[in-house]
Amino acid sequence: MRRLVLLLLVAAGAACAQGLDMTALTLFRQPKDLWPTYNGDYSGRRFSELDQVKQSNVDQLKIDWMYRITSVGPQRGVGGPTIKSTPLMVDGILYFTIPDHIFAVNARTGEQLWQYNFEDQGGHLVGQRGVGMYREWLYFETPDGWFISLNAQTGKERWRKKVADEKLQYFTTMSPLVVKNHILVGVGGDAMDVRGFLESRDPETGDLQWRWYTTPEKMGDPGSETWPNLEAMHHGGGMTWLPGTYDPDLNLIYWGTGNANPVYAGQSRKGSNLWTASIVALDPDTGKLVWWFQASPHDTHDWDNVETPVLFNAVIDGKPRKLLGQASRSGWFFVLDRTDGKNLVSKPYAGTGNWALGVDAKGQPIPNPAKEPKPDGSMIDMPSGGATNWPPPSYDPQTELFYFNGTEAYSTTYVYDTSDHPEGYSGGAGGTFDPRSALFAMDIRTGAIRWKHEHRPGGRGGVSGGVLTTAGKLLFTGDSGDLVAFDPADGKPIWHQRLPLPVSNGPSTYMLDGHQYIIAAGGDTLYALRLAGE
Amino acid sequence: MARKTVLAICAALLAVAAPPACAQEGGGAQGGRGGRGGGGRGASTRVFLGLGPVPDAEAAKKGEPLYKQNCETCHGEKAHGAQGPSLVRSVVVLHDDKGEGIGAVIRSGRPEAGMPAFSSLSADDVYDIAEYLHQQVELAANRGTYNSTYAGLRSEITGDPKRGEAFFNGEGGCAKCHAVSGDLAKIADKYPQAASLQSRFLWPSTPGPVQAKVTTASGETVTGTIRSLTDFDVSLVDAAGDYHYWPRAAVKVEVEDPLAGHRALLPKYSDAEIHDLTAYLETLK
Repeated sequence: MRRLVLLLLVAAGAACAQGLDMTALTLFRQPKDLWPTYNGDYSGRRFSELDQVKQSNVDQLKIDWMYRITSVGPQRGVGGPTIKSTPLMVDGILYFTIPDHIFAVNARTGEQLWQYNFEDQGGHLVGQRGVGMYREWLYFETPDGWFISLNAQTGKERWRKKVADEKLQYFTTMSPLVVKNHILVGVGGDAMDVRGFLESRDPETGDLQWRWYTTPEKMGDPGSETWPNLEAMHHGGGMTWLPGTYDPDLNLIYWGTGNANPVYAGQSRKGSNLWTASIVALDPDTGKLVWWFQASPHDTHDWDNVETPVLFNAVIDGKPRKLLGQASRSGWFFVLDRTDGKNLVSKPYAGTGNWALGVDAKGQPIPNPAKEPKPDGSMIDMPSGGATNWPPPSYDPQTELFYFNGTEAYSTTYVYDTSDHPEGYSGGAGGTFDPRSALFAMDIRTGAIRWKHEHRPGGRGGVSGGVLTTAGKLLFTGDSGDLVAFDPADGKPIWHQRLPLPVSNGPSTYMLDGHQYIIAAGGDTLYALRLAGE
Repeated sequence: MARKTVLAICAALLAVAAPPACAQEGGGAQGGRGGRGGGGRGASTRVFLGLGPVPDAEAAKKGEPLYKQNCETCHGEKAHGAQGPSLVRSVVVLHDDKGEGIGAVIRSGRPEAGMPAFSSLSADDVYDIAEYLHQQVELAANRGTYNSTYAGLRSEITGDPKRGEAFFNGEGGCAKCHAVSGDLAKIADKYPQAASLQSRFLWPSTPGPVQAKVTTASGETVTGTIRSLTDFDVSLVDAAGDYHYWPRAAVKVEVEDPLAGHRALLPKYSDAEIHDLTAYLETLK
């Protein structure tokens, strides 16, 4: 009987689907029966008001179905397919991706509806964060810089536009962010000293609406005083490879920018190198810069600052404030006023922050020249590659804590090309010994670590994937290879599900047919969980 | 569970450790963006980066003197730019296939930008120069080649071996576990680059299977080689080959850490002490 009802519902959904109702995209209150954007809503909080699954019944949470990618073999340079995307769920259909491929599956059963396959001509297959959706259209970026629109019902391609040149070592992995009638598209790539940018494109035609470069246009422009010359500025990096966030009331988009280039050699780009390794606020209608905050000025450690700038409201010193929080790859936790970028909290969470001498008047870390990369190695109390990365963080308004998966360790960094004209990485970092990965819970008022769940040593890796919090007083993330539910108040693990491969994306949730589903990927497989017996 | 006599065996391993210590925590690398650190060497990194065809090394060798003679004055050493632009970042070079695009610019020049035409260069010369340029792109863009390209720099010794020796025998505590005439004899011969030797003592690899002691609620102890250790489960194989499993919460697990001495130094080292120690170990040939 249940199956018959579901079949009818699917048929009805397919027959009268109008695509995504654009009013479903909100700052904080996403509709319960949708997961319509990479982060679920515009805030990037990844907090859901759903509470059918809660602490008292989470032991009944079971895998309802799974979808394993069997049609794609090892991918160039990266091995087996790994789902890093957060699926969208609209009209009972889940849309998720790996590099070069989109999958649409029935959210009730995991049955595949269609699959889109692309053949790249280059670029990096390091990850694919997912699709964006506008009405009945999907938007997808390929490794080699194609921006593609498809029909969400059929998976048929509508048009494609080239946004970045893979021969210059750009690559594109981002889940496009839809804001009003703007499809926001970012780029990656730091092997060849290219210039970062963010584009807004028309949802119907794919035509360019505006492009904002992450470094100033010409000497004399604001920000150019942080570069020695035009050549350095126009080859200065600052990629935009993760989706940003959006405040409709302030009409501002918030974006993280990547590290400066050349990556480990700073001698040809003396200065703080705006607006690389920063959080920037832009007008989504014009692409004009409104404010900025630089997390790693004059970065020489490959610390992309693209980690999600999470938007939340809280009362600080008796006053309601519109805030933005970020756990930065540079190992610092920042809280800013998102109306003007003014800093409230700057505090290292990984190690002592010994790469910095302190903070400046804006609250930005001041890099210590003695801890820049050296030909014979310079040690910092940070992991090589930074203290956190792309896996999505979460802010829970019930606990007022900010959660993310991070790593503490030591590393040595080297610069190899000591000439006046270094190119590319020009150096490197080492240090694979003793990394201590942990789930961090940060106090947004003080930047103190309220609690930390450190991974314990063993045969299966540390914490993994992103974080989801729910009104059911649960925090979902990957730990020890399992999907785990923690108590967000104190970090105690209260439920876990063993998976063959560790959690590899940001978990998500929605209601469908009266059931709250928890969705998470582990390697090549997507899992849908719900309460048994509901 | 079988009751076994616990034998505290300190495995004799490559990087023999400080006094056996127990760590409740540690290990585990977080999955990041993957591939960012290079990891593999030239060939695998090139595949990952999606770089173009492998440069023709023989042609590049012939192209080098031609480049120096005709191009270097303006485009700089290794084509990284001088008063003329860097050719490593050049869109023409990066889109070029076998000299076709580069050749067009070489033959007709760029008068508007002050570049003369080099019409006397033969087709072979143009191809060789193009391959030389492609090789310079490769050496900059493919970070998997750096360890070999910069072998000389990575072999330079900047520290003071006398201070390094004093650190080894004193503050560093290295001599408690290591002997320069024993396990470290001729260690410098094994690591031709000083940077590799430095990495070896800073970040020793985990020496073999992890040993642990598990204490049950009733006070029984079992010692063995860890099979699985997560936040939820622990399993090990004891000396007799028997397999044991417990829910993690039900037992106390003490993991032997033979690298505790190395671990303890990380927060204490100054960069100078690291370089001095490297300089001292480099004398062990």
